[in-house]
Amino acid sequence: MQKILLTIDKISTRFGQFFSWLIVSLTALMVWEIMSRRFFDAPHAWSFDAQIQMYGTLFMMAGAYTLSKAGHVRGDVLYGFFAPRVQAGLDLTLYVFFFLPGAVALAYAGYIYAGESWAIRERSGIMADGPFIYPFKTVIPVAGALLLLQGVAEIARCVICLRTGEWPSRKEDVVEVDVDKLKEMVHVKDEDIAALDEIVVKQEEKAEHGKEPRS
Amino acid sequence: MRLRKELWFGFILMALIVIPTLWFMPLSHMSQGHFGLLMLSLVVVAIMLGFPTAFTLMGMGVIFTWIAYRMGQAPQEVAIRQTLDLMVQRAYAVMTNDVLIAVPLFVFMGYLVERANLIERLFRSLHLAIGKIPGSLAVATLATCAVFATATGIIGAVVTLMGLLALPAMLKSGYNVKLSAGVITAGGTLGILIPPSVLLILYGATASVSVVQLYAGAFFPGLMLAGLYMAYVMLVAKLKPAWAPMPSEEERHVELPPLARQLTGGARRKTLPTLLGAIADSRKAGVPVRASARQLAIALLPAFALAVGALVVYRAVTTQEVVDTSGLQEMGSFDDEPSADEEGVQVPPEAKKEEAKTSRYSLDRSRLRAEAAAEAPAAPAVGGRVPAPPAFWIVLGILALTLVGLYFSQTFERLEVFKMMLGSFFPLAILILAVLGSIIFGWATPTEAAAMGAGGGLLLAAAYRRLSVDVVKESVFLTAKTTAMVCWLFVGSSIFSAAFALLGGQEIIERWVLSLNMTPTQFMLLAQFIIFILGWPLEWTEIIVIFMPIFLPLLGHFHIDPLFFGLLVALNLQTAFLSPPVAMAAFYLKGVAPKHVTLNQIFAGMMPFMAIQIFALALLYLFPQIGLWLPGLVYK
Repeated sequence: MQKILLTIDKISTRFGQFFSWLIVSLTALMVWEIMSRRFFDAPHAWSFDAQIQMYGTLFMMAGAYTLSKAGHVRGDVLYGFFAPRVQAGLDLTLYVFFFLPGAVALAYAGYIYAGESWAIRERSGIMADGPFIYPFKTVIPVAGALLLLQGVAEIARCVICLRTGEWPSRKEDVVEVDVDKLKEMVHVKDEDIAALDEIVVKQEEKAEHGKEPRS
Repeated sequence: MRLRKELWFGFILMALIVIPTLWFMPLSHMSQGHFGLLMLSLVVVAIMLGFPTAFTLMGMGVIFTWIAYRMGQAPQEVAIRQTLDLMVQRAYAVMTNDVLIAVPLFVFMGYLVERANLIERLFRSLHLAIGKIPGSLAVATLATCAVFATATGIIGAVVTLMGLLALPAMLKSGYNVKLSAGVITAGGTLGILIPPSVLLILYGATASVSVVQLYAGAFFPGLMLAGLYMAYVMLVAKLKPAWAPMPSEEERHVELPPLARQLTGGARRKTLPTLLGAIADSRKAGVPVRASARQLAIALLPAFALAVGALVVYRAVTTQEVVDTSGLQEMGSFDDEPSADEEGVQVPPEAKKEEAKTSRYSLDRSRLRAEAAAEAPAAPAVGGRVPAPPAFWIVLGILALTLVGLYFSQTFERLEVFKMMLGSFFPLAILILAVLGSIIFGWATPTEAAAMGAGGGLLLAAAYRRLSVDVVKESVFLTAKTTAMVCWLFVGSSIFSAAFALLGGQEIIERWVLSLNMTPTQFMLLAQFIIFILGWPLEWTEIIVIFMPIFLPLLGHFHIDPLFFGLLVALNLQTAFLSPPVAMAAFYLKGVAPKHVTLNQIFAGMMPFMAIQIFALALLYLFPQIGLWLPGLVYK
């Protein structure tokens, strides 16, 4: 079971990571476009469409990837204080009630929407003779389907957790605040922090006896 | 036991939300609007239960949209089709949103700048630079946080890094634990207010307020808040020296390079005369001329920067009039009729204003126009250089005096510190100011400036030899995840708010608020108070995307400028980071602090800073010009 889950994670991650490189091309395109317009007086009409499509594809395709790494923001008022079983139970319920209708609707509606766009070989209406946008609209059902797949994996995780009482593991990924890496970056070792502890303890002791007259 | 308390707190909050809602629900004859309110309270509960917010919003939006269409007596099939249509169109609208496109670019820039690893040098150089003022370590921490957090916008990383760098430094010098913790957490969250910040982009996208104006508006309130923090720290250091002792001579000591040591011969000597002397008589000094000249060039950089800056500003100030008139002329007729304006060419006044507005601040177009005006024989202000306003000369004079004072007191130690700042503080400051300046003065759209900033981040990482395939890869993946988090939240909330509007929940709230007969001031206070309270259990993203759409339509009734409201909200949401139990900053600090620093100590340390935030909020409310002056100046 765990193997299947990790495979699904991998699919989402691969897709997400592949499309996340769009940020580099987006940056490059925009910098080049600004230069081209300002210094060579040669703007490109298709540039804006291309930018929008890169941005839209980037974040839509990364949705399932982010879910697979538990990266979507949660309101962490109570959640962190619950036991894993309670967390899993809550998550399971809410996945079934909120997530599934949303993801199914997105994938299905996106399928119809993109299909209509394909049928007329739709072009962008931002300017005359705009680039094709039906591949861009296809991103919606694909992202929806990936999200749904990942959601099923998450539901399976909830069920496993309900049975065993602990969350099944995930594969590690780069995280925003990687404490160990940051420690290495600024050359701070655990011993240094531990050594600091003495200072803190001393200060507290002093504060407790602070009221007494100093010798 | 502690665990219990937190749970109780949460459940009580939830009950406080759900019970009144149910109480007011006329269960026997529920109208659509009542369903809307029910949905709103349910969503808050679901978010507090900890399900990913984006999908909570999306799922609820879909379900309640369907309910809305069904209650509108649409047949089953039609209702489903309409729901699906609405949903996919909302998603597509977010995918093609030309404001949100700046999000991944700014995020990417932030990750790259963070990985250029400037923070250690930045902190040390700033500390050395201001070593003599009271509470210097804490002030340096705040300044480092402000600069670094502004450039990166990643609160978690800034707080963690400062927890690793500044906390040990402060504790070792005998600083109070609470004060140290407060300084780091409060400083680290400044990045969300001082532009370029993602929060303002999100608000701009939600409220349809120009991001440019928001950035221009938030700049001074952000600086003001940072300034207030620093003033508070200095005050504490003065009143309670035991909490923030002065650093010892040893800590302030700057190691001189061999060259400077040779020049000074161990004594404290002024840079300029010494260096000039060394160049004039290199044999006596025993230092090659070229080495001394290089030092001199570095020492003279501030003077050079001031001269260039003054020249640029002087030109900008004195040529302004010409740009104005020629801008209007060109609108009227392109080449041969310089006085077309007075003769009344049919140009709608708005269009004229519009043109003047957009053109004045685009640099090369205005230059072109200035040239055109100079060529046109009958132009009223030919070559029209107006004298610079006295304010310009006063400011210039003050700056020049400061500079002279600086050179009179500059020792070789200070020169070393300045060199360190050159390698850490100035690149970041220039990056931020270049991005902001080009946005505010209209040389680039926020999106373009964000792209240039991301490019600048790449260059910065390369310049500090931190650019590797791994670093780029990590930054790219992190950017994708953060963007997905923010933008999917936006997809969810835009479906949700569509459902809310469809159900007419907005109308009920509007009717209710209007029935209270509040004055604009009362409404403003109430709104800010609600946002402040929401900041305790929720995070800023959720508040912006869920609750702003509810407040915004009400602003019109009370004649409140959405721009001003946005600035207040941005300032207000600073408190959301420091208010337990969801105070992100505190948990990041706790993660790297020595184990006897308790969460309660950190919370206690944050409280004075939260009070300062509220004070700053009041200041901004009482003196709106703090925020509105710059946007007003740029968009006359």
